[in-house]
Amino acid sequence: MNEPLRIDAEVVGNADEGGANRRLRLAVPGWRGFAPGQFLMLSPGAVGAARRDDPLLPRPMAVYRESIDGGSPEIEVLYKVAGRGTALLADARPGDCVRVVGPLGQPFELPASGERAVLVGGGTGIASLYELAARARASARVDVLLGARSAGDLMGADDFEALGVGVQVATEDGSRGTRGLVTVLLDRALAEGGGGRVYACGPTPMMRAVAERARSAGWPTFVSLENPMACGFGVCLGCAVPLAGEGFALVCRDGPVFDADAVLWEELA
Amino acid sequence: MSGPALDAAVDFAGIALRNPVLTASGTFGYGTEFAQFMDLRAIGGFVAKSLTLEPRTGNLPHRILETPAGMLNAIGLENVGVDAFVSKKLPRIPDGVPVIASVFGTAPDEYAEVCKRLTGVPKLAGLELNASCPHVKAGGIEFGQNPELLADLVRVARGATTLPLIVKLSPNVTSIAEMARVCEGEGADGLALINTLQALEIDLQTRRPALRNVLGGLSGPAIRPVALRMVFQAARAVTIPICGIGGIATGEDAVKFLLAGAHAVQVGTANYANPMAAREVAEGIAAYAAGHGFERVADLIGALETD
Repeated sequence: MNEPLRIDAEVVGNADEGGANRRLRLAVPGWRGFAPGQFLMLSPGAVGAARRDDPLLPRPMAVYRESIDGGSPEIEVLYKVAGRGTALLADARPGDCVRVVGPLGQPFELPASGERAVLVGGGTGIASLYELAARARASARVDVLLGARSAGDLMGADDFEALGVGVQVATEDGSRGTRGLVTVLLDRALAEGGGGRVYACGPTPMMRAVAERARSAGWPTFVSLENPMACGFGVCLGCAVPLAGEGFALVCRDGPVFDADAVLWEELA
Repeated sequence: MSGPALDAAVDFAGIALRNPVLTASGTFGYGTEFAQFMDLRAIGGFVAKSLTLEPRTGNLPHRILETPAGMLNAIGLENVGVDAFVSKKLPRIPDGVPVIASVFGTAPDEYAEVCKRLTGVPKLAGLELNASCPHVKAGGIEFGQNPELLADLVRVARGATTLPLIVKLSPNVTSIAEMARVCEGEGADGLALINTLQALEIDLQTRRPALRNVLGGLSGPAIRPVALRMVFQAARAVTIPICGIGGIATGEDAVKFLLAGAHAVQVGTANYANPMAAREVAEGIAAYAAGHGFERVADLIGALETD
């Protein structure tokens, strides 16, 4: 796996994607690639002459996808403006630099050849799954189930469709796809039988619901967890997640991808 | 600019440092986590995560929270334990990097046993006593909040080690000068201050404390002027050297602590957002010194002018 870098990355694009969603494109000199499920720590706001003490901490964000062909590697990050940090990030203009540390964390294990893989994404969690779908589609049967509050909140659905994998959408208000939660789509996929594995990333209650349903159906489930963290590389110990056995794992170092059965969901913050 | 090369070396508590920048316990892991980002020999040395006699697993989440220009933490002193540190972590640190071990316990005897196990271990340059631990028998008050408890602790630790002994002081006291004098009187070789400020934040959605532990420790730029004041006061109360800690993120921040009387500094919370922060602080101190006509960084120590 590639060692993480600290890069002051030039903003190439920072486009409005509808709703509060935005797509950040960064030039990342020296980038040597990432594995699906890995993430970045992204410091909000531009790196400049003036120091920034507030907000203080970088935000963990999934690497959405990369282009490393040619001499100037670029990465994309899909994010939603949800607080002070992401609002500052939305102000970054092409030519500004933002500080990135990554790629970080343990990636998804790809499905076996010929295996069925159902990817369940909710909200911004969708961003963790794109590269997995892109790399798994050559050898596995990939279905992508995306959930959002409404059509305007949905992230990246067109990108997934362009991959040629099966994409289904559920929105809570019914403005796109099936009305309801994404677990409705999962129930249907599991009911088809035949076995397979589930990958999920989204709000914790969604992942817990996905893991419970998949466990009942006997499908192994891998989740990508999100927790507040200050560093992203195993030092602050802020992102500890209690394990079903005993003790803790760190989301940043031991995850963010976990076997859903390994996690003590009742104690997850 | 031309002229003689800048001499950045300082002596802190009998430990020769190539520059005055250390990193604060709990913010630098066991050192190995940062070797992927920088050559550890670019900084003066580091203070490892606090060690207890037995491994500890720490608190349930939430453990941290961002606050204005700072953060709260209540990790619960999760650590691998003193024996695993010596056998598994220290051997991975390159030669030429002074390592200071931070020691923590719930009773003076436990501190003393950890100090004994660390004394004589190669690569260890010194010990830092974390005095912000709740004293179990005294009802949970921090050792560093009570002069008698603090004196007992330093005395017992002093008797357990021949290594340079540094006491990291709690800022949650009325008189930092009194605590500094207590440590000097019991034979400490140096002081490090400040540890985090005790703090509370509340989640208005749940109407519960934002951290599972209820109280947490505040760190980051928000505490820097408080830390600077305490270093200033402690430096006037004792003759043993002081290491300044609290919200240092740049060379200019660090120079203020040196001017206030610190012989060295520790970079803490800044390491999280910027894993190269400590190296940049060292470079920034050198740039300030050279830019202001100093030939030795050590000449900045205590050079604050007050009328």
